[in-house]
This record gives sequence, structure tokens and C-alpha cells, in this order.
Amino acid sequence: MSANPPDPNDLKLLPPVGEAGRPPAPNPAGGASEASPTPTPAAAVIAISPSAPRQLADLPKDELATLAEEFGLEPRRYKTPQDLVSAIHGRRQLIASLDRDAMVDVVRWGRRPVPINATNEQLAHEIWRIKSMRFDGLSERGLIALSRLRGVEIAAGEPIPAMVKKLKKSEGFFARMNRKRRAVLGSIVSNMIGENDPAAEYQFLPPVEGRGGPGPTTTTASAAPGARDRSIKEEIEESGLFGGIASRVKKTADQYINQKLDEIESRIDRKLDEIDRRLAEWRDKEIANRLRILKITLWASVIVASLSLIYSYVKVNFYDKPGNAATMPTAKK
Amino acid sequence: MWDLDPFQFFRLTVAWIATIYATVITLQSAWGWVLYLSGGDKYMTMVRRYLIIHALRLRFKTFWGDVIICILLCMVFLLLWRLHGVIAQGV
Repeated sequence: MSANPPDPNDLKLLPPVGEAGRPPAPNPAGGASEASPTPTPAAAVIAISPSAPRQLADLPKDELATLAEEFGLEPRRYKTPQDLVSAIHGRRQLIASLDRDAMVDVVRWGRRPVPINATNEQLAHEIWRIKSMRFDGLSERGLIALSRLRGVEIAAGEPIPAMVKKLKKSEGFFARMNRKRRAVLGSIVSNMIGENDPAAEYQFLPPVEGRGGPGPTTTTASAAPGARDRSIKEEIEESGLFGGIASRVKKTADQYINQKLDEIESRIDRKLDEIDRRLAEWRDKEIANRLRILKITLWASVIVASLSLIYSYVKVNFYDKPGNAATMPTAKK
Repeated sequence: MWDLDPFQFFRLTVAWIATIYATVITLQSAWGWVLYLSGGDKYMTMVRRYLIIHALRLRFKTFWGDVIICILLCMVFLLLWRLHGVIAQGV
């Protein structure tokens, strides 16, 4: 399709992951950051490479639509695939321009399961899944990042109440009604179950090995530990009644299976240690038996050798010598 | 006329028979183990390594008493053998 092979460097719109797993801030305060070994992200963001959209355009329609949904876009809104590709590209530029710490604040507030060394793109994917409109506990920079990701225009220096109001306005009437309905349903179910424990402190997932990690599948597969702290009320409010209950049941089943697997593993380890110990005892017993047999054999040999020595001594000194003395005088004669 | 000492005859006969028998049995057993453990498949490799590990884990302190007694008995046996030679020379 493409005449020239795409330059992989043109695709790197997001700053690379550093040694500590955290990329440098997209807009460093002063000069070039010492930690970033590559050109500044601002330059990478501004320079739109013609090869990057071309590569996205090579994707089939359904894959492009799936990718667009991951970036929080509605594929049906765009008439042509080129418009969708441009929109995806715009989203990537937006992600690259956001402050990572602000995104981490949002993820922590939304209690989404992410590993501690997740890339900006992974954080953005999780933030787009957050539908909550309760901004208690979210920092100002997180609020700004969330607003930008939700497509709400925020002026510089705008007060927090104004930003919250704009965000709530952007939700839409029917979406708000549905959310409130789900919240009521969530509180009913939560009261029925009797889950009134306050949410525990947020914890990151274990870091993913390798650069950037495989993406949503990893975080989804290991979602149980990170998202365990969300109450069922919040889950129902976000995902609906059946979605919330299903995710809670799935998490509980995952925890149960992990617990049972740990028990099985520890039992196997105990059995292996016991086998090892018994083999060592058997080895020692066998060697002790062999040495005892050897000792008995040697004792028997020494006893027989002693008897033989005594016999030889007696024979030589008392039996053979007097006989020689008796024959000698007859020879002289 | 060949001077046949019954005790010597008995001692030498038993010694030869016992030595040959012990040697044959030991060599047979050792050869069997060598053939068994020299297999190239994964399980034989694991068994070999496991045996080596157990041999390395063996501690002298567990058997030092019996081993020292065996060594001393061997030395006594050799001394007795030497004395036999001395007595035979004195004839």
C-alpha cells in the first residue's frame, strides 16, 4: 500500500519510558530534561508526520473503529476513515501534551486498575472509561486533564467550581438521568448486600515487564487487585446493574481461584520438601547399613587373619623346628 | 610330595571364591547402574542431577565413626598380612 516504508521514529508521538518507568513531563519547566534521551516531546507533537496517518489508514475498518473507541471516539460520527484517522491522531497529540502526574491523579481518583509503569496512552484509555461525575478528591491538575480528555474547553486560571460545572454540563441530560438511575440502583443493591465499608486506599497494579506493557489486556486480566477497592455502588453507577454485579462476581471468582492456586502451590511445595527429606533419610540409612556390613566383613577378615597368624606361628616355632633338629644329627652321621 | 596343609587349603580356597564372587557381583551392579543412569532423556538427566545433589549433601560427620573404624580394621588386616610374610621368611 505505502510506497515508502514508514519511519518508525515518526510514530513516537509519546515520550519514551525512562529507566524508572516514568516518562519525562511533556512540557518540562526549563530547557531540555536530562532524563529524556530523545528529542523533546513538544517537537515530536508539533511535527505531524505524513507516514503515521497513512499507517493508521491501512488498518481495516473494524480495527480502526475499535482503536477509535479505545481513544474515546465514536466511529459513527466520522463520515470517512480519513476523518477518523485524523481524530485518532489528534487524540494522540492530546495525550502527549498532558502531564503524566495529572493523569495519574485522575486514575487514582477513578480507582482504575493500572500498573505503576503504565504509559500515558494506557492511562488515557483508563481515564476514558471513567464516567463518574463526582469529582471529590480529584486534584486541580487532574480536573484539568480530565476536562481536556472529555473535550471540555477550560480557560487558563479558571476556578474549580466553574470547571466542575462545565464538565457536568457536557454530560447531557439523558446520560445524567441514566447515571442517577444507576446510582440509585447501586445504593439499593449495596444496602441489600450490606456493603458499607469505606473504600480502602488505592493501590497500583504490579509493574508490567517490558516497555509499555501489552496494554489493556494485561490490566484487564489482572484487574482484580487494583479495582477491588471500588464499592459495588460505584461499579453499578459506572457500568449498570448487571455490568457492576458481573464484574464484582468475576473479581470475587478471580480472588477465589488465586487463593486456591496459592494453597495448591504451597501444598505441592510442602510435599516436595517432605519427599526431599525422606530421600535424605533413606540415603543416610542405606549408607549406614552398607558401612555396618563392611565393618562386619572386615572384623571377620581380621579375626580369621589373627587365627591364621597364630596357627602359622605355632606351626613354625613348635611343630616344624623340633622336626628339623631331629633330622640334622642323622645327616651328620 | 606336595605338603597339603588343610587349614591353609581351606583359607586360600575360601579367599579365592569369596573374592571372585564379590568382584563379579560388584561389577555387575555397577555396570547396571551406569547403563541406567547414562540415559539421555529428560527424566534420567533429572535423576542423575538429583543423585549428584544428594551425594554432595552427604556430610562426613554422620558416618565418621564407622568410616574411621573401617580404616583402622584395614590397617590391622594389612599388618597381619605383613606378619604372615615375616613368619614365613623366618622358616
